[in-house]
Amino acid sequence: MKDALFVAGILFLIFPGLVLWRLPLIARVDLTARLAIAFAGGVAIVTLLLYVYNFAHIPWTRTTVGTPLIALGVFGLRGANLKWDSRGRLSSALILVFVALTIYGVITARETCGDLIFFWGPKGQRFHYAGKIDADFLGYNHYYLMHYDYPPLLPLAYAWASLVAHQFSWWGALFFTPVALLAMAFAFRGLAAPAVGEERARWYAVLLAAIVGYGFAIGMVGGAAEPPLLLFEIIAIAALTFAGDQRDAQILAAIALAAVALTKVEGAAFVAITVVAYLIVSRKAVRTALVALPVVALLGSWILFCWRHNLLDSYGRAKSAMHLELFRRTLTETLHQASYDVGWVPWIATLAPLAISRRLRRSLLPLIVAAGTMASTLFFYLHADNPWWWIEASAQRVLLTPLVCLVVASAAASE
Amino acid sequence: MTTRIEKTIIALATLILLIAFVNRLYTRGGPYFQLTQTIVDHVGPNKHETRDALVLLPKIRPLLPRGAQVACFRPINGAQNYDTPNFLTAIGQLPDQKVQPSFFASLDTPPASLVDYVIAVRDPFTHPAYHIVAEFPEGRLYKVAR
Repeated sequence: MKDALFVAGILFLIFPGLVLWRLPLIARVDLTARLAIAFAGGVAIVTLLLYVYNFAHIPWTRTTVGTPLIALGVFGLRGANLKWDSRGRLSSALILVFVALTIYGVITARETCGDLIFFWGPKGQRFHYAGKIDADFLGYNHYYLMHYDYPPLLPLAYAWASLVAHQFSWWGALFFTPVALLAMAFAFRGLAAPAVGEERARWYAVLLAAIVGYGFAIGMVGGAAEPPLLLFEIIAIAALTFAGDQRDAQILAAIALAAVALTKVEGAAFVAITVVAYLIVSRKAVRTALVALPVVALLGSWILFCWRHNLLDSYGRAKSAMHLELFRRTLTETLHQASYDVGWVPWIATLAPLAISRRLRRSLLPLIVAAGTMASTLFFYLHADNPWWWIEASAQRVLLTPLVCLVVASAAASE
Repeated sequence: MTTRIEKTIIALATLILLIAFVNRLYTRGGPYFQLTQTIVDHVGPNKHETRDALVLLPKIRPLLPRGAQVACFRPINGAQNYDTPNFLTAIGQLPDQKVQPSFFASLDTPPASLVDYVIAVRDPFTHPAYHIVAEFPEGRLYKVAR
């Protein structure tokens, strides 16, 4: 029962996210994409709410947290078009095949990430029981390996679901993974369709589901931060690539980028690269600054919180020495992991359409972000004395970010 | 229109990834259609390093007083062992207790600093200050004598 309630708590987040349907750009996309974007928005909203309550010393209860969530959902639902669009059923069915395999993978404990057991789950559970972001728990020196300053989005989302279920659910946490996979494929399809055509959007959405679904399985990300991270990343990149000149897309991207930065440490690098790419593509400094504003405010407040409680660790690691002498082997090992044990098919499938395209300019933003995140991955690895175990353990997960950017780039560039 | 070559590339890649996906799930071992006991039962062909703790800790949890100081590790030759996977697993599985690293139960630890309980995963723990309280197939619970 607690597992079902925990999953219900996660799925409920679609409801407050309906507030994003008030944006005309979102209101125009198909219902599956709207629900997917609402889910991502709901996760961002509940995180922000718990985060603000933490600093305002407002207790986390079903009433204090649930009431504003319901109010936002009711506001978003007013006058909403709930008509089901039956087009794209084949692509939906194919996407659901990969989602179903992921559900099977998590329900039979085939995709569980060790990080769920070691820190994401314990932090979410502790935040729930403490009713706050427990700085004493995070900063306990013997818990160093739980990473003091990892950003709080996933533990806060888990704390919300724990609030609904009255306790943390390890199985429920695993279900975040297939839900995020489904949401990212539908969100991408809906955001891409107006710009590249429905047929192309459907094909590339299936490719996205195939790459990410398989990537989740081989990279073992069940219950870890990669599923929500990639969901927010794909929404941000798709919004800026396919509708970057529209105000609504900029608002959506700003929300998604803020969520990216609060999900994983490397999210900060992703955001920085995306903001630079958007500045290059749009050549609008003020607009770019506005897109980056929520990130600066939220990530800045998190780093300040960590600094005040003496928790800073990962965010200060770039100050350590870089081992350029390891570059060649680091690159080789990373490229080896990038094969995903399937002959680099994900890369070939995304780069081949780009190679035959004559409209690369349209995919400049995701290409810059793909190249930048690939480079930042190597940059992080080169700061370790002995990164080989780290590369083996993480490369297949972190390389999903440039891969999903390449899917967006291919879709945008295709003829 | 999506070009034929694009469709071919995407269809082939999707098919290859589907086969690889099914194969990946299959090679993580059977049984394939049974609910599992822990969330790590099929993460690899071999038993996961935290599986014993994930089975043992829910059995031990009701025996521990709220707020008790606990260490959880797999002993080596009867002695404490800094065992990160079981230590971190215990933090998540025992939210009502304070989980400490294994060296809070070493022979050198001053008696006043010894943890109240030791959960010895799989192998027995030998320490003059501790006596066994409960025994399970996956490990034992010890209590300090003060």
